[in-house]
Amino acid sequence: MIRRNPLILGNKTYETITNDIASVVERFPKPAFFVGLSATLFLLFIFIFAKGMIVTYGMGMMGTSHPVNWGTDIITFVFWIGIGHAGTLISAILFLFRQKWRTSIARSAEAMTVFAVMTAGLFPILHTGRPWLAYWLLPYPNQRGPLWVNFRSPLIWDVFAVSTYATVSIVFWYIGMVPDLATIRDRAKSPWRKRIYGALSLGWRGTARNWNHYEMVYMLLAGLSTPLVLSVHSIVSFDFAVASLPGWHTTIFPPYFVAGAIFSGFAMVVTLMTIFRELVPVFKDYITLDHMEAMNKIIMATGLMVGYAYGSEFFIAWYSGVEYEKYVFLNRAFGPFAWSYWIMVTCNVIIPQVFWFKAARRSIPIMFIVSIFVNIGMWFERFVIVVTSLHRDFLPSNWGTWIPTVWDFGALFGSFGLFLTLFLLYSRVLPAISIAEVKPVLNVGREGDGNGHH
Amino acid sequence: METQNHGVTNKYWMSLEQWRNDPEFARLVENEFRSSPLQSEDGKDGWARREFLKLMGASLALTTFGCVRRPAQKIIPYAKKPVEVTHGIPNFYASAYSEGYESIGILVTTRDGRPIKIEGNPDHPGNQGGTSARAIAHILKLYDPDRFTNAKRNLQNATRTNRETVNVSWENVDKAVVEQLKKGKVAMLMGTQISPSTQALIEDFAGATNATLYNYDDLSHSSFLEAQKVCYGQKALPRYRIDRAKYIVAINNDFLGTWLTPTHFNRQFAEGRRAMPEMNKLVVFESLMSLTGTNADRRFRIRPSQSLDVVMALLHEIIVVKKVSRYASDGAVLRMLSAFARNGGDLGVDVTGVADELIKNRGQSLVLAGGLPAETENAMSLYIATNFLNAVLDNEGKTVEPAAVEAWGTQRGISELVTALKNKEIKTLIIHGCNPLYSLPRSAGLEENLKDVEMIIYTGDRNDETGRLCDYIACDHHPLENWGDSRSLDGVVSVQQPTIEPLHNTRAMQDSLLSWMKGLGKGSARARGSETWYDYLRSNWSDNLARNTGGKSFDDYWVNLLQVGVRETPERSGGGRGFVTSALARVKPSQAQSGFELVLYETVGLGDGSLANVPWLQEFPDPVTKIVWDNYACFSLRDAKQFKIREGQNVTLMVGDHTVTVPAHIQPGQADGVIGLAVGYGRKGAGKVAEGVGVNAYGLAAWKDSRLISSGLETKLTVEKTFVELACTQGHHTMEGRQIVIEETLADHIKKPGGAIHHHPDLTMWKEIEYKGNKWGMVVDLNSCTGCGACVIACQSENNIPVVGKKYVLRGREMHWLRIDRYYTGTPEDPDTVHQPVPCMHCDNAPCETVCPVIATVHSDEGTNDMIYNRCVGTRYCSNNCPYKVRRFNWFDYTEIQKPRHLALNPDVTVRHRGVMEKCTFCIHRIRFHKTQAKLEDRELRADEFTTACAQACPSKAIIFGDLNNSESKVSGEFKKPHAYALLGELNTKPAVHYQVKVRNTEELKGESKHHEKGHHS
Amino acid sequence: MDIIEKGIQLLRSRGRKGIAGIWLDEHKLVEAARKTRQAGYTKFEAISPFPLHGIDEAMGIPFSFIPWITFIFGLAGFSFGVWFTWWTSAVDWPVIIGGKPMWSIPAFVPVMFELTILFGALSSVGALIFVCGLPKVDPPVIDPDLSSHKFALFVPEDDKGFNAANIEQLFREMGAVEVKRTEF
Repeated sequence: MIRRNPLILGNKTYETITNDIASVVERFPKPAFFVGLSATLFLLFIFIFAKGMIVTYGMGMMGTSHPVNWGTDIITFVFWIGIGHAGTLISAILFLFRQKWRTSIARSAEAMTVFAVMTAGLFPILHTGRPWLAYWLLPYPNQRGPLWVNFRSPLIWDVFAVSTYATVSIVFWYIGMVPDLATIRDRAKSPWRKRIYGALSLGWRGTARNWNHYEMVYMLLAGLSTPLVLSVHSIVSFDFAVASLPGWHTTIFPPYFVAGAIFSGFAMVVTLMTIFRELVPVFKDYITLDHMEAMNKIIMATGLMVGYAYGSEFFIAWYSGVEYEKYVFLNRAFGPFAWSYWIMVTCNVIIPQVFWFKAARRSIPIMFIVSIFVNIGMWFERFVIVVTSLHRDFLPSNWGTWIPTVWDFGALFGSFGLFLTLFLLYSRVLPAISIAEVKPVLNVGREGDGNGHH
Repeated sequence: METQNHGVTNKYWMSLEQWRNDPEFARLVENEFRSSPLQSEDGKDGWARREFLKLMGASLALTTFGCVRRPAQKIIPYAKKPVEVTHGIPNFYASAYSEGYESIGILVTTRDGRPIKIEGNPDHPGNQGGTSARAIAHILKLYDPDRFTNAKRNLQNATRTNRETVNVSWENVDKAVVEQLKKGKVAMLMGTQISPSTQALIEDFAGATNATLYNYDDLSHSSFLEAQKVCYGQKALPRYRIDRAKYIVAINNDFLGTWLTPTHFNRQFAEGRRAMPEMNKLVVFESLMSLTGTNADRRFRIRPSQSLDVVMALLHEIIVVKKVSRYASDGAVLRMLSAFARNGGDLGVDVTGVADELIKNRGQSLVLAGGLPAETENAMSLYIATNFLNAVLDNEGKTVEPAAVEAWGTQRGISELVTALKNKEIKTLIIHGCNPLYSLPRSAGLEENLKDVEMIIYTGDRNDETGRLCDYIACDHHPLENWGDSRSLDGVVSVQQPTIEPLHNTRAMQDSLLSWMKGLGKGSARARGSETWYDYLRSNWSDNLARNTGGKSFDDYWVNLLQVGVRETPERSGGGRGFVTSALARVKPSQAQSGFELVLYETVGLGDGSLANVPWLQEFPDPVTKIVWDNYACFSLRDAKQFKIREGQNVTLMVGDHTVTVPAHIQPGQADGVIGLAVGYGRKGAGKVAEGVGVNAYGLAAWKDSRLISSGLETKLTVEKTFVELACTQGHHTMEGRQIVIEETLADHIKKPGGAIHHHPDLTMWKEIEYKGNKWGMVVDLNSCTGCGACVIACQSENNIPVVGKKYVLRGREMHWLRIDRYYTGTPEDPDTVHQPVPCMHCDNAPCETVCPVIATVHSDEGTNDMIYNRCVGTRYCSNNCPYKVRRFNWFDYTEIQKPRHLALNPDVTVRHRGVMEKCTFCIHRIRFHKTQAKLEDRELRADEFTTACAQACPSKAIIFGDLNNSESKVSGEFKKPHAYALLGELNTKPAVHYQVKVRNTEELKGESKHHEKGHHS
Repeated sequence: MDIIEKGIQLLRSRGRKGIAGIWLDEHKLVEAARKTRQAGYTKFEAISPFPLHGIDEAMGIPFSFIPWITFIFGLAGFSFGVWFTWWTSAVDWPVIIGGKPMWSIPAFVPVMFELTILFGALSSVGALIFVCGLPKVDPPVIDPDLSSHKFALFVPEDDKGFNAANIEQLFREMGAVEVKRTEF
């Protein structure tokens, strides 16, 4: 095998690994943590307030209007769903590809997935005119005579896809954590901690027979999650692709959306990990520059795919000869919302090109900034798709515009409050790196590597 | 304090008098307070449930034996509709709507004793079932919350500034007025009455009190009438037969939109459009872009000062150059024309072509001029010349028929009134049917001279511009609460019957006059003989108006009359009139102007502004500009560029020493050097809705020799830095070369109807669903549609469609289920215009249905696309996926309607909850109602037994609705015509609405109807 | 009340007496496991903080049967999806939607797919919890570090031919740092 850097630095032993990771959960958080938490809680409050007002007084408070019936809510929904995908990708797909370096970031990436999907899930519900009736989208038996849902509607596909995705991701995440929870249980001094983590760990014992089944199930879940994660964003893209609207009615959407999702997801992982490494310095031994560089490579690759999609959309619009399609794409690049289009192109296609240089790939500040830009760019990608397609469609008499209100911003930025609060809390109460998964790869890349080649 | 318990708000009572316990005032307090029969003791909004139930209870009685004021006065439901006495079944009453000189026969739909909808009366030969936006909308004025609910007294200061408004009982009004009348020196300022009986009564009253009658209209036709008198010796409005005219020339005349009787004209014009292959041709010379202009086959842009020159140029071309008509040898005429020969030259437009065609169409052509934009200083000359042109073209007696009766215009005008006021010749002034202090420029000098009048009585229903200065507001009924009759220009007399017990403690103006006459013990035998206005009306009919009663007793005749609504035999006097050539002597050349010329105009929505407090009309997209909730100064593209004016930028217009500041609107097709500004806005005291909307353009009009000069006013322009956002309901104004409205020239159309339609191959992976039984469909004939917008308001009234206000129209959230798209083709400076009404297409392959997650919108087995409000959760996906964007979303709770406007709601149509989608239903409630009827009567549904609200209201019969599966129905035939096409057909949505191509009577089209690449289907 | 008692009883682990050896090097443990098996023991257990490479064939642990569960339930989920979409849209409540047939299969595929995944995933996790006898409220602990950096072998007394002395000797030979009689 090729010579490679060790996955874990600083001559760890199994014991130090356990200490490093478990102690984060065991010790009392530093003040910095509470500063961060209060900041995110403030954002969360903004979110709750904004959404509360909108639900109380009506969707009219947001920028959505006729003909732009979808706005910030749907854009942000797609944005967060996309973020989620990186987690599953790392934990499932890279697992199937036997990418050992995934082990130290998988746990947090999955946590990110779970929280992102939770955040995303709120938006389709809260964007409806009557959110209190959103449960009508579920096909449950009822006494209203035969009354079911419309399985032809992409929104129903969403309901199934997103809820399945959320369920499987949470299960996957939790099952992966069970042995580590057992570890923390066994280290616990206080009886309460023992009880709580004991319950969470389901009384895991770690016998060989259990490990045997456990590994099998873990692989099965990875195998199931892989098509699932691909299907979820494909189906989210169907929300648009299935419609007859020029600019939405495109067959390229599923792969294009999946690529974009991975792109944005990895950017978010990089953002979080760069911060995480600073907050918990010991993690630098586990989440090394090699990890970061690998992720940056993926960011650049998927960024190029997304760029290709942008290009091919234009080509097809011209090639199809459909005047409406042609107009929509010209309007995107040069119409009233051209600024959003060029923000998108700059952030998603141009800026990631710095990763051609190894120095940039391995520079924490650069990758942090780039990842932020990518996140912005990907939000605008969805903005471009939703708003610029809607605001000028078939009949020119309907052409309109979209003007955001303060409530749009509240919903958008507030949603980060929800996500970050959950993530911060997670980083304190749950093992942020998979103890049981890191140990087997402890020796990978070390001199006299005993068991590098599985 | 006990008065507070009453419905009237305290501000009327918290007054100095009361505070000082002024004895005279105390008396007022004790015995003069009245609260409306509908007002509650408890509800702060003034409408208690108990009271409403009372009304409902009364309605039972009403529905059983008609709408009753007193048992003696029986009115009869419209006989041709099924009249059940069941609670909840609508009754239809034939009545009439009069406005200016227009008289429309209407059917008032009442539910449980309250009118909820106004439709055209098919039996009226004038409008034949069609209506106008204003006729439909004036029902909301009945339920106007800002109406006075009781007679009022304005306690005026010495300077006639209103100090206090107090309720006053009718007894005390009568007492005070009669006392005052005894002093003599009475004057009546009356708006034009087209009700023969009211005319008679007013003249009676004038005789009894020897009052002087002064006539004034907010939109006056006085100089037009004057010209008629000069030319024919008869001061009467002729009867224009647009249906007979093959070649129509309109010079600054908006006969399809606002002039005289647009509803009738629309019908006639459309008939002429449909008369293939000899479709009529409309040529328009105008300064602004009017509704008539948008329908022109050929359109010339002229300055208002050029109107006369156009006519003279035509006359010159026809008589002098082409030597046509008997006048060609008339020396006097030739001499007169020679003076105008050159004007033809510097006119800038070549009229020879028009002249030739006019000659070709002699006897079946028609030249029209008139209306505010024509009322320049020199309007008289224009009208005389126009009459002469019609005479030259032998149109007299063919397309121009003499009027049946002299217009009720025999009184003096404002100037005389002002002089009389100056000379203190007037002690008492009664104002009715006009709002002079709104529509008169200050220079007329009326306001300052009113101070010395001892008592001014106003019959208006609120303290508006005129009301504020009056002492007594003897508030009149709303027409729907009152008896009456009206005579249309074509001599059709129709009866107006009340359709509801007066909501408030108001009194008919006619009853006021009668009771005052009684108080004086004077008046004609009829006046003294009739206890109420109803008696007077009835006896006037039996004596004067009844025609061929066919031996029937008058009572039977009356019953039958009320059932039909119109008197069978119209008053007509055939034959032509001789044109008095000496009139030509009065034709003066109008001096050309160099600067900006201001042109005031009347909008289709608001007219003279009397209905300004009707929210429907304020949010009614102007047929031409599509702007709502504002008036604005219209500029041509060239002027806008030259003076760097942007849309919505404020400009200050200065005429003489009067200035107004309004936002600018850049109007394609407008003549250069012209500024247009609509009247009817800027009302004061008209009510909460109208308050602060737009500016009063009348302020800029000039007042010269007792005439209102509303056009060709020399104007100074100042461009401000500030902007006002104008709320336009249409986002873009050209078709971008897409196949949306398809036009054909007449020649092409005759050769191959629908040849311009580009058909796409429709492929489908499914087996089409077939519809047995009924399959509802609609055809919109774009060639007949003039874009008047009656359908929009009809739909709004029928379907309880809310009004959202300017702020949200700016966000594109207007709720109209049926909108009219207006596109310009050709160059923006001088475009052609097309109108396209767009309801829900009820597509067989409806994109909206596929994407609704909860099946809140589905297809019925009758081919309608139904919206289930209760099920809708409001994802708005359907609207995104609707290619026609006809769906409307309830962004907020729009169900909160200010009472008593809620009484106008149609109980057959759900009021939509916040957060649900809504859209055109093809009037599903009507479908269901008539299917039920058919079932009860155990029969099949007859073809075209009923129609939708929009189709019913359309004055030009452009909308046809019916059962596509019924071979006898009109629509099933029209739907398959070769020139019928589906909008965006290439999407294969299979709409149930088809459009028929717009035919233009020209050689080639301005619009570049770019054909798309073959064979694609997106 | 006794219901709860029963429930808790279910969650209690029935510890078995036996001998446990503790290692610090996982490779030695795997060797020891192989020896122990050769010594004829079958019911013995290996406890480790993470899955050990090669322990399965060392202890003769068979290939996990859970994939079959996943397959069967995945299939069940798929069939349910097919039946449910068909029954609701074409049988129980057929309505005309967008002019499409009642049973428009292509549009129903996503739902079928998601149900397949959902059933498959949840069933395999359920199976895992079942075969591992989870959850337990009081899992016996031989040494708390067994979930951190130590490794253990445990031979229960009821294993056939159980001989404490031999086992202890075997463990010591194989480099166990500690051998103790305990319950597991």
